[in-house]
Formats: sequence, structure tokens, C-alpha cells
Amino acid sequence: MARLLLPFIINRERKLKRILIIDDVRDRAAWLKASLELAEFDVVGILAWEQVDERSIQAAAADVIIVDANAPGRDTLEQISLMSTTLEKPVVVLSARNDQQSIQEAMRAGVSAYVAHTIQSEDLSGIIHVAAARFLEHKRLRDELKEAKSQLVERKLVDRAKGILMADHGYSEPEAYKRMRDMAMSKGKRLAEIAEAIIFAKELSA
Amino acid sequence: MNKPTEETTNSETTVAAKTQSPEQNGRRDFMKQTGAILGAAGIMSMVPMGTRAVAWAGGSDAPELKEVKIGFIPLTDCASVVIASTMKFDEKYGIKIIPSKEASWASVRDKVVNGELHAAHVLYGLVYGVHLGIGGPKKDMAVLMSINNNGQGITLSDQLKDKGATTGDKLKKLIETDKRDYTFAQTFPTGTHAMWLYYWLASYGIDPLKDVKNITVPPPQMVANMRVGNMDGFCVGEPWNNRAIADKIGFTAATTQDIWKDHPEKVLGTTAEFAHMYPNTARAMIMAMLEASKYIDVMANRRGVAEIIADKSYINCPVDIINQRMEGQYEDGLGRKWSDPNYMKFYNDGAVNFPYLSDGMWFLTQHKRWGLLKEDPDYLGVAKKINQIDLYKQAASQVKVPIPKDVLRTSKLIDGTVWDGKDPKKYAASFKVRA
Repeated sequence: MARLLLPFIINRERKLKRILIIDDVRDRAAWLKASLELAEFDVVGILAWEQVDERSIQAAAADVIIVDANAPGRDTLEQISLMSTTLEKPVVVLSARNDQQSIQEAMRAGVSAYVAHTIQSEDLSGIIHVAAARFLEHKRLRDELKEAKSQLVERKLVDRAKGILMADHGYSEPEAYKRMRDMAMSKGKRLAEIAEAIIFAKELSA
Repeated sequence: MNKPTEETTNSETTVAAKTQSPEQNGRRDFMKQTGAILGAAGIMSMVPMGTRAVAWAGGSDAPELKEVKIGFIPLTDCASVVIASTMKFDEKYGIKIIPSKEASWASVRDKVVNGELHAAHVLYGLVYGVHLGIGGPKKDMAVLMSINNNGQGITLSDQLKDKGATTGDKLKKLIETDKRDYTFAQTFPTGTHAMWLYYWLASYGIDPLKDVKNITVPPPQMVANMRVGNMDGFCVGEPWNNRAIADKIGFTAATTQDIWKDHPEKVLGTTAEFAHMYPNTARAMIMAMLEASKYIDVMANRRGVAEIIADKSYINCPVDIINQRMEGQYEDGLGRKWSDPNYMKFYNDGAVNFPYLSDGMWFLTQHKRWGLLKEDPDYLGVAKKINQIDLYKQAASQVKVPIPKDVLRTSKLIDGTVWDGKDPKKYAASFKVRA
């Protein structure tokens, strides 16, 4: 079943075709490259860890980076991806351990992907698919959190502005809110911007 | 599936991978004991903490796990993990510690997060970074105890020495007059060495993010990387600063005790889940590590400790290079020799090991300072959640380790600023040089 579906997955995932392998173990890297090419991925490069810096990663322009879980150089990659927002890429971490349980746990824990070296080439494409999905999910959650935070700030602004209108003009709460909303609509501004203006005006007169 | 190839770049981890997963092991034990633990916890939660500490000492304190796998990175301050195991302090408290040598801090993080390691010798700031999800997985974390104070350093290359940059001030001048890319390395973006390096550079008016290039290199690779000219300076734990001098490639421009006397450094870190699920095991680990800490802090024992940890399976570095600075005998590679009273401390009458909330919060203030955190976190709330003060107190009182009265402490850092943990938000915003 999985085998039959695979070409379909690959075709749908054109966006994640370009793979960069970082590995000091040459024959393993070659094996990975061959497996990936068999599954119709482009291996855009194999880097040794000592070649890894922001420039070389940037230049490879890969969609997915595959590294060995036990490579000391992983910390180098951590710094590069944390400090450069343009380098947010899924990193598939390959490990010598191949029991399903540890893989599952790592995935749940939010490591982009954490898979065994002993995977078959058919599985690899699936794994990259999974790694990428996992990565995107992580990014989506982070974005949602950011969004939620800014919504909270906006709501606080609106509440404060409402309070000012109620205290200074004797409006009821729904009335204060309606006035702000109407102004936002007529001025083509966001409600939070109107609220901020009211707060500023109040601070100016205070 | 094919047969496992077990081909890794690190032979120790291959061996570790072949042994039974501690996670599976732990799970089985847990299944067996779940009823008992939950039952006990249910009743115990109604008893006040002071009484509880006595109660669990009365016989209900058997560790839930018999074996704990503790990760470490080859550094002098991994000694308490190694000594707790090799000197069998662990057995005294009903556990067997299996030290597991790791190749990178990223790997330590991932393995603690996914349960492959039960706990680890880990950078203070890294634990806080994971708890807040900075640049990687986010998971509720726990600091069981602090492992050591002091004993890291900032090394500058001999090329910089030849250009006259032997101090922070002179380095600042060189960077301003002799324009090129200057590269500095630390060990992990959220870790302690990044924060010491940034703090030191900034105290001389060098912006660590804008004026110089920043890279991350694992501790054992630091010296080799400087040798091939990959960096002008680095901040790392011993013995690697002393090693750079022995190898004649660099000199010590500052020790971290110069930056902050008795600064927090490595901790025994685990997940919050582990601390809650296996409190007896956590206490047993703390007690075994405290005994090891006491042992290591007896000066007469240090040579023997250095001999043990120098081994290939631990730090893999000549004994003398480890031992000199462990015993407080410093030389800077510029001709100065001194006896440093603030050498690496593991115990210091328990002052080292208490997980002060102000220590934990300090790393958050620096994460904020350098833009790793975009907004001020709930500093105190986060530190209270991570640092397991209750577990520590219970364990410390069992092995008669003095416990400080206050969860905050006051320190004066190299730039003259005072950190007392009382207004972290204001402190974080108070620095002139910041992101």
C-alpha cells in the first residue's frame, strides 16, 4: 500500500526535492545519496562537517538537510539555523538506533525528524515527507502562538480604551465599543489602532 | 528492514545504543509500580512538605528506577557524574548511574527530551532554552541541582597575541583599527559559554552579535578548530582552555570566575515529567551526586579524580592538563602564573549545588538581552517551575548538606552591575550593549 502511494507523494512534494547531506562518513553519505536519487530526489550536495558554515548551507539552497544524530557538528548547525531566519529548514536527524519507539518519541517531542540509518530507500522518501510535515507543523504552532500573543495584547488595548470612554464620557460598555468599532470602520483602521489612539490622547491630557 | 549497521562517528554511543533502552526499562518498572506510586502520591500530597520529607525517609523512598543513564560532554565539570558512578556513591542510594558520553549538546538535548537519557550534565542556559522552546523542541524541563561553579575560560588565539590583543580593551582596539571578520566560538546558542562570551565582549564595548562573527563548536573540537585558524577566540569549559596553552595555539584572556565569581555553570538536568514521575529516583541521583561533589572538593582527592576523568571513555585528555586548573594552579599562556582561589568548585559547603532561582533567571535575562527571547518571560515563574527546590532540599537534608535560607543570591559581575534576582525585567533591559 505504502509503496503504491509513494510516487504520488513524491510528485506532490516537488517543493521538497532538494536534499543536502552533511556527513563525515563518506560511504554512508554515498549510500544515502543513491537511495535518495532512486526515489527521485536531487541531492544538491554532500558536505563534511568542517565545511559547514552559513555560506555553504546557504549556497546549497536545499529544501531538507539530513545529518547524523551523533555528529559533534550538530551544535554548529543549531547556531546557524537559530541565528539566521532565512535558513529555517527541516533537518532530518539520522540515528543508529532504529527501534520504532525512540523514533516515535522523538517525533512527539518535536525534533523535526529522528530516524534510523537502516531505513530502506523507499522509506526514506516517506521520512523526508514526514520530517518536512513535522517541521511545518512546528513552525505553524510557533506562528499561532505569536498570533495568539498579539491578539491578547490587542484585546487589552481595546479594554483599556473602552474604560477611558466609559469613565470620561459616561458611555455604557456596548456603546463605547460600538463607537470605537464605527470609527475604525469609517477610518479604515484596525480596532486596536483606534484603541491605542484613545489611550495616547488620554495620556496626553492627563 | 535491513540489519542495523551501527555505524556512527562516535564509538561510545554505538556501544550505548546496543544496550537496552533505559526508556523501555523504565517503562516496565513504571508499569509495575504505577499503582503504588500513585497511591502514595495521592496520600502524600495532603501532608505538609516538612512532614513529607521525614515520611519518605522512613522507608517509602525506594527509587522507582534501578538504573539511570546520565549523559555528559567531555569536560572537567562532568566529574561528579563520573565519580558518583565509579566510586559507587550511586549504589549507596539504591541506583546505578550509567554515564553516557555524548557528542554534542544538541544530542544531549534531544536524548533528554525523548527519554533516551534519564538526565544529563548540561549547560544551565540550555535547559531554560528548551523549556521555552528557543530554536528547537519545547518541553517542560527540570533542574535537579547545580553541578559546579567557575572553571570555564575565554581563550584568544596566538595570532591575536602577536597583534597585541592580550586583554579585552586591547581586543576592542584591534577590532576597531584592523578591520576584518573576527570569529568567536562558543558551545551552544542558549548555553552558558555563549552568555559568558557575549557578556565579556560586551563589557569591553564589543557587540558580540554585530562586531564579530559567532559560531558554535562542541568543546572537544574547540582546540583543533582554533589550530586550523577557524576562530580568533572561544569560550569553553576546562580542560580545553588549558589545552590550548599546552598546544601553544592560544592564551587565556579571562577566566569565567573573572566575569562572575562563583557563577552557575552545569546542572543536573532532566524533564519535568521525569522529576514528577520518579521523585525518589531524582532524589537518589541528587544524593549520589552531592556525595561525589563533596568528594571532589577535597583538594587531596583532586589528583585521583583527574586521573579517572582523563580516561579515553570520559574526557580523553592528559591528566596534568586537567589537574592543574582543577587544583587552582593557573597560567595564562602569556607568562603569568597564579593560584586562583576561585577555581572550579563542585561543593563549597553546598553553596555550589543549591539551584538558586536567581541563577536560573539570570540566563533568561541574557536570552532576552541577546534577542533569543523576543519578550520578557515570567522570569520567576519559569525559574520556580524548572528548579526543583523541594526535591533538592529533601535530598540535601538527607545527606546533611547545608541549605541556604534564600532562593536568591546577590553577585557583582565584571562590569560592576549587581544581580540579585529581584527585578529581572529591569536588569535585562539595563545593558547598553544588547540585541
